[in-house]
Amino acid sequence: MKFQIEDVTVYFPYDYIYPEQYSYMIELKRALDAKGHCLLEMPTGTGKTIALLSLITSYSLSKPETSIKLIYCTRTVHEMEKTLAELKLLHNYQIKHLGPQARLLAIGLSSRKNLCVNPTVLAAENRDSVDAGCRKLTASWVRAMAAENPNVPTCQFFENYERAASAAVLPPGVYTLQDLRVFGKEKGWCPYFLARHMVQFANVVVYSYQYLLDPKVAGIISKEMQKESVVVFDEAHNIDNVCIEALSVSVRRQTLEGATRNLNRISQEIDRFKATDASRLRAEYNRLVEGLALRGNLPITDNWLSNPALPDDILKEAVPGNIRRAEHFLHVLRRLVQYLRGRLDTENVEKESPVSFVASINSHAGIDQKTLKFCYDRLHSLMLTLEITDTDEFLHIQTICDFATLVGTYGRGFSIIIEPFDERMPHIPDPILQLSCHDASLAIKPVFDRFQSVVITSGTLSPIDLYPRLLNFHPVVSRSFTMSLTRDCICPMVLTRGSDQLPVSTKFDMRSDPGVVRNYGKLLLEMVSVVPDGIVCFFVSYSYMDGIINTWNDSGILKEIMQHKLVFIETQDVVETTLALDNYRKACDCGRGAVFFSVARGKVAEGIDFDRHYGRLVIMFGVPFQYTLSKILLARLEYLRDTFQIKEGDFLTFDALRQAAQCVGRVIRSKADYGMMIFADKRYSRHDKRSKLPSWILSHLRDVNLNLSTDMALHIAKEFLRKMAQPYEKIGGSGRKTLLSEEDLEKMGDGGMDEMLY
Amino acid sequence: MASTHVTKRAKYKTTIKDPGTPGTLRMTFEKILFVPHNPKSAGKLDVEFRYIKGQKHTKEGSNKPPWLNLTNNQNGSFIFEFENYSDLQECRDFVGKVLAKGGEVSEKPTVAYPDEQLSAAEMELRIKLLQEDSELQKLHKQFVLSGVLTETEFWATRKKLLDREVSKKTKQRLGFKSAMISDIKPSTDGRTNKVTFNLTPEVILQIFAEKPAVHRAFLSYVPNKMSERTFWTKYFRAEYLHSTKNSIAAAAEAAEDEELAVFLKQDDILASEAQKKIRRVDPTLDMEADEGDDYTHLPDHGIFREGNKEMTESQNELYKRSLSQDINRHAAVVLEGRAVDVELEDTKAVAEALAQSKQKSSNKGESDGDISRERLDRLSRMTEIEDLQGPNTLPLAPLCIKDPRDYFDSQQANALRTSGDALGGIEQIKCGLSTQEVYGSLRESISSIKAMGLKEPIVKPEVAHQVFDALTNSISNTKYHIGKNPQESVLDRLPRKTKEELLHHWTSILELLKHFWASYPITTTYLYAKVNRLKDAMSNIYPQLEEIKGSVPSELRHQVSLLVRPMHQALDAAIQHYEASMQKRSAQSGERPNGYV
Repeated sequence: MKFQIEDVTVYFPYDYIYPEQYSYMIELKRALDAKGHCLLEMPTGTGKTIALLSLITSYSLSKPETSIKLIYCTRTVHEMEKTLAELKLLHNYQIKHLGPQARLLAIGLSSRKNLCVNPTVLAAENRDSVDAGCRKLTASWVRAMAAENPNVPTCQFFENYERAASAAVLPPGVYTLQDLRVFGKEKGWCPYFLARHMVQFANVVVYSYQYLLDPKVAGIISKEMQKESVVVFDEAHNIDNVCIEALSVSVRRQTLEGATRNLNRISQEIDRFKATDASRLRAEYNRLVEGLALRGNLPITDNWLSNPALPDDILKEAVPGNIRRAEHFLHVLRRLVQYLRGRLDTENVEKESPVSFVASINSHAGIDQKTLKFCYDRLHSLMLTLEITDTDEFLHIQTICDFATLVGTYGRGFSIIIEPFDERMPHIPDPILQLSCHDASLAIKPVFDRFQSVVITSGTLSPIDLYPRLLNFHPVVSRSFTMSLTRDCICPMVLTRGSDQLPVSTKFDMRSDPGVVRNYGKLLLEMVSVVPDGIVCFFVSYSYMDGIINTWNDSGILKEIMQHKLVFIETQDVVETTLALDNYRKACDCGRGAVFFSVARGKVAEGIDFDRHYGRLVIMFGVPFQYTLSKILLARLEYLRDTFQIKEGDFLTFDALRQAAQCVGRVIRSKADYGMMIFADKRYSRHDKRSKLPSWILSHLRDVNLNLSTDMALHIAKEFLRKMAQPYEKIGGSGRKTLLSEEDLEKMGDGGMDEMLY
Repeated sequence: MASTHVTKRAKYKTTIKDPGTPGTLRMTFEKILFVPHNPKSAGKLDVEFRYIKGQKHTKEGSNKPPWLNLTNNQNGSFIFEFENYSDLQECRDFVGKVLAKGGEVSEKPTVAYPDEQLSAAEMELRIKLLQEDSELQKLHKQFVLSGVLTETEFWATRKKLLDREVSKKTKQRLGFKSAMISDIKPSTDGRTNKVTFNLTPEVILQIFAEKPAVHRAFLSYVPNKMSERTFWTKYFRAEYLHSTKNSIAAAAEAAEDEELAVFLKQDDILASEAQKKIRRVDPTLDMEADEGDDYTHLPDHGIFREGNKEMTESQNELYKRSLSQDINRHAAVVLEGRAVDVELEDTKAVAEALAQSKQKSSNKGESDGDISRERLDRLSRMTEIEDLQGPNTLPLAPLCIKDPRDYFDSQQANALRTSGDALGGIEQIKCGLSTQEVYGSLRESISSIKAMGLKEPIVKPEVAHQVFDALTNSISNTKYHIGKNPQESVLDRLPRKTKEELLHHWTSILELLKHFWASYPITTTYLYAKVNRLKDAMSNIYPQLEEIKGSVPSELRHQVSLLVRPMHQALDAAIQHYEASMQKRSAQSGERPNGYV
């Protein structure tokens, strides 16, 4: 359908539109017009992504003079694929109705590991080895060598791409990672470098959060994005955690050992170069004297992860004299490693601010703050000079330099915590030194400064006023939408008691109670026998899940569950979890039905949808609080209290409930879909906890469902499923329309709009 | 299976007693060729398929070797003995296909004869149907073989079963059990510490399917390196060690015994398979790809030791296998279904068949063009928002009810439950219509169809639903109303033998009545003879029913007689009609009876 929002003609690839999608678009357009940032909360299952994509592409179509680029950030690669698939649908529709002028170029960008088509490089196991494998074939010095000696292996795809030079372009269209690979294979061009190149010209770029938030990656990938771009962070309820993690580093014993090995290797290399090609080291020294910390334009293949500190905070000055010589720099690093090793040998937990830490480094190891700050760039330069290609071997020393640079750059918003062992396993010594960032606004600040519109959107952003404070920005539009439902297709319940009427909870003192474990098992057992297709269960942690599954297995509950449905479990092994999920979907598709056990805050909870028959019921066993004894969490809470006056308890509850809401919110995809949610913990019935849930869940949580036992929940589930199986009028009942057609939108005009929307 | 020929090793026998000549059997659409391995030996065979009339074969599970017997039109036969049943099956299917082809051509002329000439394929199909359905077989035996009905008459009412399309549907294969194999609990004798495991081929197949490493070990160790018994003893020893969750002990034992270590180690085949499978996984849930973009979890980056990150002991990791892994693996195997369809007798055979089927599936996996297309289709289906656009017509799987009785029984229980909730919800449908009214409404609907054509759907869903409701409510109603407990049926309380007899009588009476009423009006002498035959058969049933009544214990007699009564009534009505029409016939009164009493 095609309709008008003020001066913009919006092309929407469906025959109908939800009213909330329409008002979402209106708000979004206002933000774009005002060239400001916005914060929008809309429940899952209302088609946020397509509304967003279709408004922004239509907006830029209607204003051809300003080239607006859309940078769409997703949390995961699979969400990226989903977004691109929706964009493809939209693009086809726009081409059909507008013709060639609607053409655009949209690409997904990921790492070499997901884009490479060279079989020899791909054989490597992890991302870093793939990167290194690629560098071994494509680094500028390797190619220079290959030009003289044909026996030096190079990458055929990259050579072809280079040869094609400016002719190597992607024709307009929407390219998923798979499409890019296929295109690359066909043409014989390297898809990774082609995509990297095309990012500048693309109208829509879809990539991971970290390509924009993590300075290490953003420095090389997102440098050249125009100011006019619209940046979207989808599923952004966890964005503060991503920001914090991007600027945190931890050092363990293994890291230090690895770093020492790396330093030995580097020192050998330096000796080798001295003997054979001393001029090269001299050239580097001269360059550093001239103040070029990093040589201007590197060939695209030589790029490495860039500086971990934010671009604005990097000083534009010459590398200090004491580390210009390679040997001297090496000595500095050795002293630093030695110092850190000494600090790790502690008996007690220590917490320190960066300033005092730097002072202590200065007095004990004689390394001043400025030197620390330049560590990363100096290492980078040295490794290029030494022509090191197996970069995956040098991750440890890189970590140390990351740490040094961050600690040298930032004086506030961070703290350094040294723990001699994990509290949960005090008998195993495992010292760790962590530089943890507390201020989420640090990492995202450059994004807000650089781009004119940043859209932060998710299904759960409640309380919506907290995010601007955490991220320190001023949205021009900040709104939370409710969901207009044709029928009551979600059914949240709070289960407080088991079948024996005893309370259930994962509270610390109750979680190992066999009665609670049994009651949880009985609940699931009853549910698998009445709920069709897929059921998803979320637990509060891996260890809790493992424990409970083992107990269920011993007591035979698991066996009984298996009589009804197949059981799949998320493990810490990603490959296995992915396969388990794939099988879970197959089992739901073929009608066998299945249960998926997962962990709140785990990878599955973060990004996998359990819509339609893939999830008719979600059970949240317990309240997913963070591990409250964690020193880092305590430090962060302290920071939040001091800076934002946010109470510890409030923040913890907020954090736990947004996770819980996120877990259960994955069951609904559209209004034709339906699903039940069970919050199985007595603490959910308390008002202070419950009220933190997003309003679209709260509005369906009836008072009678607030304090249920297993048998009552079972009865409600049966009733609900029977009701949902009845045919219904899609357009919505007499009162409010829940689906709008093109005519409805035209009729509404300006006057009648408010009575239909709210 | 669309190959144009089949080549198998087989022995050719001229008679059943003949030990047979080993050689190669090659079948094409035109002919059958048998060449003995020993070129000197007699028994070379070259027969064209059109002379072959039918085939017989030994059934799987009988104790006979896999024999295929092809009969030619001179009543001679060729017997082939195969090496195993899967070869036999392949050849059997092939012959069936060729015969069916030939049958299609020759079908036209057979129709011309009233006493039909059956094509071999048709015959085959009928035999197969009879074999599959014991009840049908009983009826067939009772009526056709005793001469009450002719073969044609018997099948004429079952045209639907003979429908090729239906019969071609692949039979549902039995899957694995949902229970985990680790659930096999040993039995103890109570006095010593000895435990005994009972292994069935079924369980072994499942173990092999879930643990490829054990499968591989079995193929390479047994029987050359160790006996099957020691193999399984070691296996369960390993399982026991694993169940103690003591990875240090496991590591120690594994170091001493390298065969035992095989069972304790992580399954390397599984790991490599997983790597292969991950490439074909749906991109919308490929979490493995995320690792490529994850820069905060570079080793040592990001926040460590947070609540959700668990520490694992890295030592002895090799010998640690978590329950979750086992559960995932088990569910995946159950979902894949049973790959092999062999007789579960010999473990060796089981192991080999599984290896073969794996080989096949891995060859098939090479061509993943289809898979990626299917993946894309699925992806685009997933991204669409269903209610914002017109309805998508999804392919429907036809409902296949094996035994209608089961269906109605379960529906009955449901219907009772719901009707219990809303008692009196069903209003009495007006039944007493006059002939005029019926005629009028019939005319009306015919004329409306003439004018507007058939509506789509022909029956309104509400009407269809109502009819089904009424049916489920009234069918087998009595048996529930008589029972005290609505869940328990009266039939279940009867002795097994009586129950079966009753049901059998009921079906045979139905069969007879069906034919009986279908014969009216009697227009030919043939029908006249048939009706007479049927009547005789029916009157034979009376004493049998009496006998059943007499045989049951007195407390059940009342209920049995209640069950028998409708049968009596139906038979009475038929016989009455028969006698009335006979009288009319003998009286030669004007017009002939029109099927009405």
